[in-house]
Amino acid sequence: MEKPKPKIAIVSLTSCEGCQFVLLDMGEKFFSFVNEADMVDFRLIEDDEGPGMDLDVVLVEGNPVTEENIKTLKQVRKRAKILVAMGNCAAMGGVPEIKNYHEGANTIKHVYKYIQGIYNPEIKEIDNFVKVDFVLPGCPINGEEFLKYMPFLIEAAQTGDFSKVPIIPDQPICVECKAAGNKCLLLEGKPCFGPMILGGCNAVCPTARMGCQGCRGLRPKGNTKAMRAALKKFMTDEQFDNTTEIYGLRDDIEAREKEN
Amino acid sequence: MNIKINHIAKIEGHTGFMASVLQGDVKSARFEVQEGIRLIEGVLIGRHYPDMPTVAQRICGICPVVHNLTSIKALEAAMGVVVTEETKKLRTVMELGQLIHSHALHLFFLSLADFLDMDNDIQLIKEYPEETKKAIKIREYGMEIVRVIGGRVVHPLTNEVGGFKKAPDADELRKLVADSSEVLKLALELGEFFKGIKVPEFYRATEYVCLGKTGEYAIYDGEVISSEGFQIPVAEFENNFHELQKQTEVIKRVEHEGKSYMIGAIARINNSRNKLRPEAEKYLASLNWIFPDYNPFHNILSQMTEVIHCIEESAKLIKELLHSDLNQVVTKPYEIKEGTGVAAVEAPRGTLYYRVEVDGKGYIKNVNIITPTAQFLSNLEDDVADYLKEILDLGNKDRERRLRGFIRAYDPCISCAVH
Repeated sequence: MEKPKPKIAIVSLTSCEGCQFVLLDMGEKFFSFVNEADMVDFRLIEDDEGPGMDLDVVLVEGNPVTEENIKTLKQVRKRAKILVAMGNCAAMGGVPEIKNYHEGANTIKHVYKYIQGIYNPEIKEIDNFVKVDFVLPGCPINGEEFLKYMPFLIEAAQTGDFSKVPIIPDQPICVECKAAGNKCLLLEGKPCFGPMILGGCNAVCPTARMGCQGCRGLRPKGNTKAMRAALKKFMTDEQFDNTTEIYGLRDDIEAREKEN
Repeated sequence: MNIKINHIAKIEGHTGFMASVLQGDVKSARFEVQEGIRLIEGVLIGRHYPDMPTVAQRICGICPVVHNLTSIKALEAAMGVVVTEETKKLRTVMELGQLIHSHALHLFFLSLADFLDMDNDIQLIKEYPEETKKAIKIREYGMEIVRVIGGRVVHPLTNEVGGFKKAPDADELRKLVADSSEVLKLALELGEFFKGIKVPEFYRATEYVCLGKTGEYAIYDGEVISSEGFQIPVAEFENNFHELQKQTEVIKRVEHEGKSYMIGAIARINNSRNKLRPEAEKYLASLNWIFPDYNPFHNILSQMTEVIHCIEESAKLIKELLHSDLNQVVTKPYEIKEGTGVAAVEAPRGTLYYRVEVDGKGYIKNVNIITPTAQFLSNLEDDVADYLKEILDLGNKDRERRLRGFIRAYDPCISCAVH
């Protein structure tokens, strides 16, 4: 018997939907992936709403910012064998999480005159609400990485063997950056978080001469204290902390530093 | 009778729609936005200015380029940073690439199925494989422009206050020029195909607003102009176009003299059509529209015309850049100064406006962002209320389908509108 096509859903919570566009932007490559799968509830290409069937792999992008978002997230968890946090917002809080580090709920006063009746929660990563089986990191995600890991995730879902869920190799951004032939930004005195951040993005930022700001998150062996010390020469502790806020990295660094 | 659509797929972001009709009279037609608040303007306050383009472009995954460029231009205006002509030209090319790929996505993959009475794009791709290939190639060309200049398509990397972190590779630019004639040919063929698509004959007069500039089809720069003969510098925008928040609404709508107005491709075509590049001008003429053209469905064909124009214009500008010193785009040292700056750039969906205030050390004190969808939302509702009268007699399912198609033709971006 032929293997059944995997049922895959992409769910967008509040977000820029950029991770979904990374997939669509792959053009023919993505459409040939779609041909081999059964895409359920893919809002960007179809109008009919799916019937609520069981799903093999669900990819969730964005933040749960409305009550509806939270409901959707919990419902889809029930239907999914494997749930993937797709991108920085779902995995680490993304740029909306900046508000947690500063004025919190009061941030709304800079934007709206009437704030009654607007749901304005603290920004939380999706793993605060549901179990997450795999993180596809980045802001946005890397499309090639999606194609690389999806077959394993589908296999894990279809066989129920969770040992098939892949683990992204613990290697810093620097490995790919060097391979791309880039001059090290740190050696030029420019801030870059490359050494403590999980590789797999082809060092796209340093290649564009933009220092890594950590959207893919800390790598398991990432040494935050050594990174802080190395960056002391060109940024104050406050600047370091501020930069780690952009992609919701600050709380992870603080947790790591408490552990050690 | 109440007409309710819980969720409109195939647009950017989350929204539903609700209308109430009493004895054939449309009493109200309103969007029910389901998008959460990310408070991007709020989180920018207190941050150092280089963070602004990085954070602000994450408002939208489909048009990050224009958020990036507009925030950079506003910061430069605030601090009095002057950039080179080469930088302006390269930024313009990037924005043209943004228009090409956003339009190609919308007119083919998001909107077309509605006019062929198809339920989804999988059917569309199956029945129109040749056209699909053309649309993908055109879209990829637009994305390639953004990648070559910006380093990445979704959330580009090289742009910054003062210029670019690095100049694009000249060989990659040459390749874009070399490919442009083939892509232009594909766009003209796709344009012919779109001419055969029947859209409803629905007309409602409105005011068209966009950037305007002498001698060019304004995209990166210009003054604010309107089809009513109105013209103001961008600095006067907020004095004339008023944001208003209704209680519990998360989109701040915008009005001009107490009325709704329209922006985007159809507004630009109406106001600036005599400045199109030759092939785009010929294509538009072949549509035989009578101007001003007030059919909102023509937004799709306006986008098609702009795709053709942007391919021609970007090739011309890249050629000019290749004849100049490309290193002039690399950022030179500048002074951080206190000030307030405003800027506007034409996004795929219309004029995007930013105002920013920075202190003497470059920390952000205040930000206001007015997005295209927030500006045209009321116009869309006014249009829908009128259009609904014409389709009231249809069955529920058919009517809902027509409504969805109408809303999608506008190409709304709810993620941008709420931000």
